[in-house]
Formats: sequence, C-alpha cells, structure tokens
Amino acid sequence: MQWIKVPLILAVLLVMVALFQRRQRVEFRAGSRLLALGLGMLAVLSVAFPGIPQAVADRLGVARGTDLILYMLIVVFVLTSLGLYFRLREADERLRRLARSMAIERALNEQGFANPSPEGDGRQGDAGP
Amino acid sequence: MASHSQVWVVVPTYNEAPVVGDVLRGLLAVFPQVVAVDDGSTDGSGDAIRQAGARLVTHPINMGAGAALQTGIDFALRDPNMRTVVTFDADGQHRVEDAVGMVEYLSRRDLDVVIGSRFLGSEAVNMPASKRRLLKVATVFEKLTSGVKLTDAHQGLRAFNRGFAQKLQMRTPDMGWASEFLSRIQETEARFEEYPVSVEYSEYSRAKGQRSINSVNIGIDVLINRLLRGHR
Repeated sequence: MQWIKVPLILAVLLVMVALFQRRQRVEFRAGSRLLALGLGMLAVLSVAFPGIPQAVADRLGVARGTDLILYMLIVVFVLTSLGLYFRLREADERLRRLARSMAIERALNEQGFANPSPEGDGRQGDAGP
Repeated sequence: MASHSQVWVVVPTYNEAPVVGDVLRGLLAVFPQVVAVDDGSTDGSGDAIRQAGARLVTHPINMGAGAALQTGIDFALRDPNMRTVVTFDADGQHRVEDAVGMVEYLSRRDLDVVIGSRFLGSEAVNMPASKRRLLKVATVFEKLTSGVKLTDAHQGLRAFNRGFAQKLQMRTPDMGWASEFLSRIQETEARFEEYPVSVEYSEYSRAKGQRSINSVNIGIDVLINRLLRGHR
C-alpha cells in the first residue's frame, strides 16, 4: 500500500465533516442538488451509451467501468447515510422539544403552578399564577 | 439554612415504580417542591409519583435520562421564585441529607454548581470494583472532552443556581448528559465544587444500573456531540 493513501483518506473525512458542519448554508444545499442533477444526467447518458463508464475508467486508470460505478456508489452511499443521520438527529431534537413543552404545559394546566398538593396531605403552598 | 421553599428537586424517572414513591416521600419531608419527570414509564411509575405527592410531568414518549432532566429543569424555571435546582436519582441510591448539605454548601460558598462525588472522603457503599475502575477511566475521558476535572463521573446528585439552570439547555437525550453538563460549566466559566456524598448500591439499583458496555455508546455520542457542537 502506498502511504499517500492515508492522508488522502483523512482529507476526505475532514472535508466531509467540514461540509456537514456547514450543511445549513444555501450554497451547500444548492451544491448537493446540482451534484444530484449531474449524477442523474450521467446515469441517463451511461445507460444510452454503455461505453462511457468504460472510457472514463480507462482514463482514470481504473480497470473496469463497473468498478468505477461501484466506487461512485460507495461515495454517494456514505454521503447519503451521513446526511440522513444528521437529519435524524435534528428531527429527534425537534421531537424532544415538542414533547417537552407539551408535557410541561399539560402538567401546569392540570395542577396549576401552586406547590404540590398531595391528596389529603394538607401541604400548603404559595399561590401560583 | 437556606430557604427550601426556593429549591426545586428534579427526579428523572423511568420504570422505577417499586422505589420512586419512597424516594419522593423522603425528599418531600425536607423539600416542599419536588418534580418527578416520568419518562414514558410502562410500569405505573406515574401513579406512584402522584401518590407520593410530588409534581408530575409526563413525557408522552420515552426520551432518555438527559431529556427528562432537562424537562424537569425547564419546569422548575417556570417558577419565578426558584433559586436552586437539585437533581436526584429515582432509584434510591442518593441520600436526602446529602442533597440538603449540597444546597447549603452552594449558598454558603456562593457557587454556581455543586456536584456530588462518591470518591471524596466517604466511601461508596457496595460499589463493585469493576464500576470503580470504569468511573476512573470516565473521569479522564471527561477531563479530555470538557476540560473539567472531577473525582467522579456521571454522578446524578447535583445542585445549581437559577443562572446556571438557565444556561444549561442540554441537548443530549441519554446518559451522556453528564458530559454536556461539564462542557457547559466550562463554557460559562461557572464556579463549581465537588461535595462528598455517599451512595448506597442496593440489590435493586445494581440490577437496574447501567451496563458497563453502554459507556462505549455514551463516549462515542459525547465525541459526536463535541464535533457538531454549535452547528445545528
């Protein structure tokens, strides 16, 4: 194995983290949509002209066109998984905030904000709002 | 003694029906305001809480210990008279007198945060040796990720003032909340000290306690949260 691969792989990982930290920015959203469009067009083209992947693979020094497509699939899969993971994290956080505010409002509605008044205990509290 | 009417005790509860009632009654004997957050329990913990006479906030779904704690803190913050929040585990491992001592210590020393430690002075009763070692590793990990040095890690008994409660706003839903808590101390430059507490590891709490392997999950979640901190 050539050791140049280690910094290359690290660099890819770093770029991905940096990208995802800025994923809320419009440039990033626009970029990923353009990328998706480009890939879609590429897919159509390589179905119509099956020679294209092989020609590109030859240029890049990859043995077969199918290998090249596999590599691209892996990259897209990793990016998609990460994107979904982050999106799930955010959705969970929103759900928690919603559930929390529901729970608190319901508790306040049911019991007011006076001190606890357990059944028959007679504990006296200050008046709540 | 500081006025206990300005103290709210937050007790996150998940499936602790056999013990939570006694825990809450013990607290209510000293602190008039106790809120238990039922984190979607399925064993009737909510009824036990109601019968004990504590305030009950019920999560409609299970969301994790950290999320339950934050709910209790948010609830306490709705009380304009609240000056101090105490967090207290529902499984009966903490002692009420330690909580009283921490509240008193917090106001006497004019601190923002007091965190209980099982390793300062008094010994943890019946703590398994493997757990002791794991907690040592955890303190080093927390020092590295948050920059705050403690003698104990993931200890549930804590007391802090209103100002810190407002800044806390924890987003970690699960057991990793303790690390986010420390990060917040670091970020807000809060004045904090540890306070010796003793913990009783009963048959019950040992059976319910965290499995050690889960510390791997907690650690990785903490690292991811650090990596993404501030980016939403």
